[in-house]
Amino acid sequence: MVEDSGRGPLKGAFSTLRKGFKGMSESMVPSEDDKSEVGVKKRRFRIILAAGLVFLFAMFLISISISSGGIIPITDAFSALVSAISKGGEDLTTEELYVFSSRLPRVVAAIGVGAGLAIAGCMFQALIRNPLVDPYITGVSSGAGCLAVAASTTLASLSFLAGYSAYIIPLAAIAGGLLAFGLTLAVAEGAGGSATNYILSGVIVGFAFSSVQTIFLSLNKDNLTNVMWWLYGSFGNITWENAFLVLIPSIGIAVIAMLWAREFNLFMSGEDQARLLGMNVRRFKAIMMVVASVLTSVCVAFVGVIGFVGLIVPHACRMMLGSDHRLIMPASIVLGGCLMLFADIIARVAISPLELPVGAITALIGTPVFAYMLVKRGREYDG
Amino acid sequence: MTDEPLLEVEGLRMRFDDFEALHGVSFSVPKGLLVGLIGPNGCGKSTMMKCINKLHTSWTGTVRVDGEDISRMRPADIARVVANVPAEVGSIYGMSVMDMVMLGRYPFVNRVWWESEDDEKVVREALRTFGLDQYRRKQVSLLSSGEKQRTLIAKAYVQNPKIMLVDEPTSHLDMKYKLEVMEYLQKMARSDMTVIVAEHDISLMARYCDLCIIMKKGSIVTIGDPKKVIDEDLIREVYEVESCVGTDREGEIYVLPKRYIKTREEGDEGSRGHDPAGGAPGAGPSSIFRRRRR
Repeated sequence: MVEDSGRGPLKGAFSTLRKGFKGMSESMVPSEDDKSEVGVKKRRFRIILAAGLVFLFAMFLISISISSGGIIPITDAFSALVSAISKGGEDLTTEELYVFSSRLPRVVAAIGVGAGLAIAGCMFQALIRNPLVDPYITGVSSGAGCLAVAASTTLASLSFLAGYSAYIIPLAAIAGGLLAFGLTLAVAEGAGGSATNYILSGVIVGFAFSSVQTIFLSLNKDNLTNVMWWLYGSFGNITWENAFLVLIPSIGIAVIAMLWAREFNLFMSGEDQARLLGMNVRRFKAIMMVVASVLTSVCVAFVGVIGFVGLIVPHACRMMLGSDHRLIMPASIVLGGCLMLFADIIARVAISPLELPVGAITALIGTPVFAYMLVKRGREYDG
Repeated sequence: MTDEPLLEVEGLRMRFDDFEALHGVSFSVPKGLLVGLIGPNGCGKSTMMKCINKLHTSWTGTVRVDGEDISRMRPADIARVVANVPAEVGSIYGMSVMDMVMLGRYPFVNRVWWESEDDEKVVREALRTFGLDQYRRKQVSLLSSGEKQRTLIAKAYVQNPKIMLVDEPTSHLDMKYKLEVMEYLQKMARSDMTVIVAEHDISLMARYCDLCIIMKKGSIVTIGDPKKVIDEDLIREVYEVESCVGTDREGEIYVLPKRYIKTREEGDEGSRGHDPAGGAPGAGPSSIFRRRRR
């Protein structure tokens, strides 16, 4: 057989990953008929949390020890972090300063944004029940982008706002994101509120804001550098002041949304079916749409539009874990955080000392992995 | 059949803009029966089911389940007495059979997140009853049409309802699966659950149902034992189709459609033409219980 000959390292790595996962899932599913299926799920949930947190922590350590300036041993980075924290962030050595003030904020923000976008994507995919849906489906990214560009080209040049410049773009982005979502909601609900209505109105609202954004960009060609990083996504502008403004809301909203995982399962079986089982479908959909849009706006506000994570992470989790949102949602949080950390590391070191836009990296890493999963599991995943 | 009625419908009217889909329908059904809802496309079968389960809310009239007025009940309470089996499984991203059937326990699960052991016991029992236990980890999308239909019925069954509304359960099934599904539904009716089935296969309905409700243009034409009420005149009146209604050696009725009657020609008694607004004068209450076997 040709199967085993000529295996490339990539194929071998994928195969090992797959076998590892298969082995994990088989060991978690008992063969006896009388084992509790809910018990199996609870165990899977604990494994996802434990393994995910360990993996996330490992990525975190790698991330704080690497920068465009160079790489230090993980142990040194960790001890520098611990000592910097014990000092309360004051009187730091150069290395502690690097780890604590320069790398840690962007690592914290990357985890928040990755987790937030992944779970927002997961929520939208369930709410709209369409596989092409990502967190930007309701026009949030275009609205946020448009107002961010508008703010940076107009407001930021006003002298009395100079002191607040770090917050002008994020605030304008949040306002733009929510405005776009509001318009999408109004058009979609006016048209009947179906999934297709939401997709179409999100697309047209998105186009409208993108056009305005293009006009602003062409009118203010000199001021483009201020806003370019934002349009392609970057953690370069993250500082301690805004890192937690990203992390806390996104992780908070993500965990709160997880409490409704069972309702998401029910919603997936169809709106009528969910209503017939006693769920207030309209209210649930409206609240969760708002929650997911706020979450997306918060994620894009400080770091810009980072694509792909919100589309593929939830799909990857569904392919691996099935359709139960009690497993998919926590897995999306963890995997989203890890993928974003990994992409940020690559963005920083690939052509060091220059930094690449992290949004491009997420897509570059994600596409081959996702294409592989799609080829392997796509048939079963249909319908 | 002498029991107190389980489902009572009085003067049920449903209007979509300028079209009245149900013209004050009234009937009652005792418990433990398999009831067939028969009539041509657009006669109001599905609309009536959607009024009973309150998927439609703008109807007028009274619907009582076990003496309780359904218009005063909350959706979650209705879900504990009325279960629904849709005609098809929707798009469900690889949901497993177990997960799908477990959704039926939603009205009973109060704990956040995980279902209790009792819920799981009920679901496993239902999976065994419907011959699905070996497929419980399989994705619903990979099942055969018959197995999918059984999964949907099992999901409604675990709601432990008093009334089960089943919409065209055999439309995609071959002969064997049709009989199998009807036998499951009959078994459930025997276990004190009233099962109401909307279906186009009249022979199948006549064979399995204890009672049939024949509808045309938003009104009930007749209600009764299918073996007594289904005849060629009734088929002509309701479907505008000439048919051969016969009885086999076991005494079961079969209906063979022969040709459809062109509307508004030669003053044919069985054809009243298509009235887009529904509610042709002759299809109202005056025609109820009019037809007899030849």
